[in-house]
Amino acid sequence: MNSIFVNSKDVFLDIVNAKDYVQLDRVSTIYQSLKDSIKKPLKMILLYGKPGTGKSMFLNKLYQDISTTQEVYLYQTPILDESEFYKTLAQDIFNIKYTGELNFTQFMKIVEQKKEKIVPVVLLDEAQLYSENLMEKIRLLSDTRTVKFVITLHKTEKEDLIAKEHFQTRIWESIELENASSTELKIYIQKKLMKANCFDSANMFTPSSVNKIYKITNGNYRDTNKLLYTLFDIYSIYETNHQLSKVTTNQISPKLIEMSAIHTGLIDA
Amino acid sequence: MLNVIELERRWLRYKVKSYIPHLSIVISLLIISLLIFTFSSNQENSVKTKKTVPVIATPADIIQKPKEMPKPTVVHKPIEVIQTITEVVPHKSQKIKLEPSLDFMKKMNNSANPYYRNESSINSYAAPYEESAQTEKKTITPKKEVVYEEIRKEKTQQKINIKRQNTQNDIYDIIKRFKKNNNPALSLFVAKKYYELENYRQAYNYALMTNKINKEIETSWIIFAKSLVKLGKKDKATKTLKEYVKHSNSNRASILLDEIQSGKFK
Repeated sequence: MNSIFVNSKDVFLDIVNAKDYVQLDRVSTIYQSLKDSIKKPLKMILLYGKPGTGKSMFLNKLYQDISTTQEVYLYQTPILDESEFYKTLAQDIFNIKYTGELNFTQFMKIVEQKKEKIVPVVLLDEAQLYSENLMEKIRLLSDTRTVKFVITLHKTEKEDLIAKEHFQTRIWESIELENASSTELKIYIQKKLMKANCFDSANMFTPSSVNKIYKITNGNYRDTNKLLYTLFDIYSIYETNHQLSKVTTNQISPKLIEMSAIHTGLIDA
Repeated sequence: MLNVIELERRWLRYKVKSYIPHLSIVISLLIISLLIFTFSSNQENSVKTKKTVPVIATPADIIQKPKEMPKPTVVHKPIEVIQTITEVVPHKSQKIKLEPSLDFMKKMNNSANPYYRNESSINSYAAPYEESAQTEKKTITPKKEVVYEEIRKEKTQQKINIKRQNTQNDIYDIIKRFKKNNNPALSLFVAKKYYELENYRQAYNYALMTNKINKEIETSWIIFAKSLVKLGKKDKATKTLKEYVKHSNSNRASILLDEIQSGKFK
């Protein structure tokens, strides 16, 4: 049987799984507005924010939730080749297999022919990796109102530029995701642990320890996951070496938080 | 698997690093407060020293002023006096040997020479004699002879005049010198001093000696006449003065003659 520290460590593995989605008040409100936007006759929805703010998780959760009621396609990994992109969409949305090269004109002909009553939703993650040329064609495609796009972008200067140039006049909804506050971070950590039945370790997070974590990660979900994964890893090592008496176990040891931050590079030591 | 021991070492280094700024702030604050304390205590000490200066420098211990002696004619500013006093204190252990100033003697000698050169001329004699008399007035009190001794200080080079009554000794000294060189200026001085000391017989004698050496000294004749009056020989004084006035047409002598005759001068 695994110890509580090993179980807790696994909770914070950096993987995008809709099942691990944690309901937070502010995040829930944003998510609901995103769901509502899908129902609206919008051409495109832009989801943007800094890395680690939960954009991918949002997209996954959305896919999970609306896939039962609506035709939705999720592309977590960008398809950088233009022909491959059209071919994938033709096969998934219109069920047309294309063996040769498929260019934008050919693909548009297919779209015109296969116009459906219910507009399919295409979720594109990491859209900042697509070329500007392809992004322009995605915009033209969304103008036909045959496909609705929800795309996620990292909020950097470059991405802001893309958003301005390609989508500013066409996007009807843009949603920004931000880092968690200290309170939200505590709820996030405890809910995540309690979901995995790690109640003891969830109780170890006092406001002071969460504040310390918040100071280090600035409320970034990805950094927090990395830090807590390492933290419980260190705890489990102490436990294996029978050295738990060296550290506090009734609450998260500040020393171990700092050690985790040093190991993950969040603190420059 | 994580190398916890290495990680602990890194953490320790990090903690030491993180405490350095705090430590440096605390140390610098301590140094600043120490400097402020030292500076303020120094200031207090300097204030105390300044306050004690007047107490230490009691002039009465150093300068012995005769009770009856009037203030010296040379007036010093109060600040200068304090400065002089404060600087005398460190030399307290050194015994200051007070010696009478005989500068006036030199002046008298200087004044006597022209007289010998021009013995026949009253004016030529009178001029240096009057000059020496004026010089004396600056340093000598009206009734008693007072010798000022200047204590020169190396730093400020300010003078302090110390009075000392030594008239009798000085007179003897001058008499000795008079016997050596027979200078009428010296005998006249002795006559005047004796007159001031109310020793009218001696004043008469030395005025007579002066007149024998030089018959043209107006002051000598006046002292001679005054001494005679004081000795109760008013007639002889009147007779002598009349003859002198007739000979020299001296205004001073005639005024004195009138005063004696009218009884103003007794």
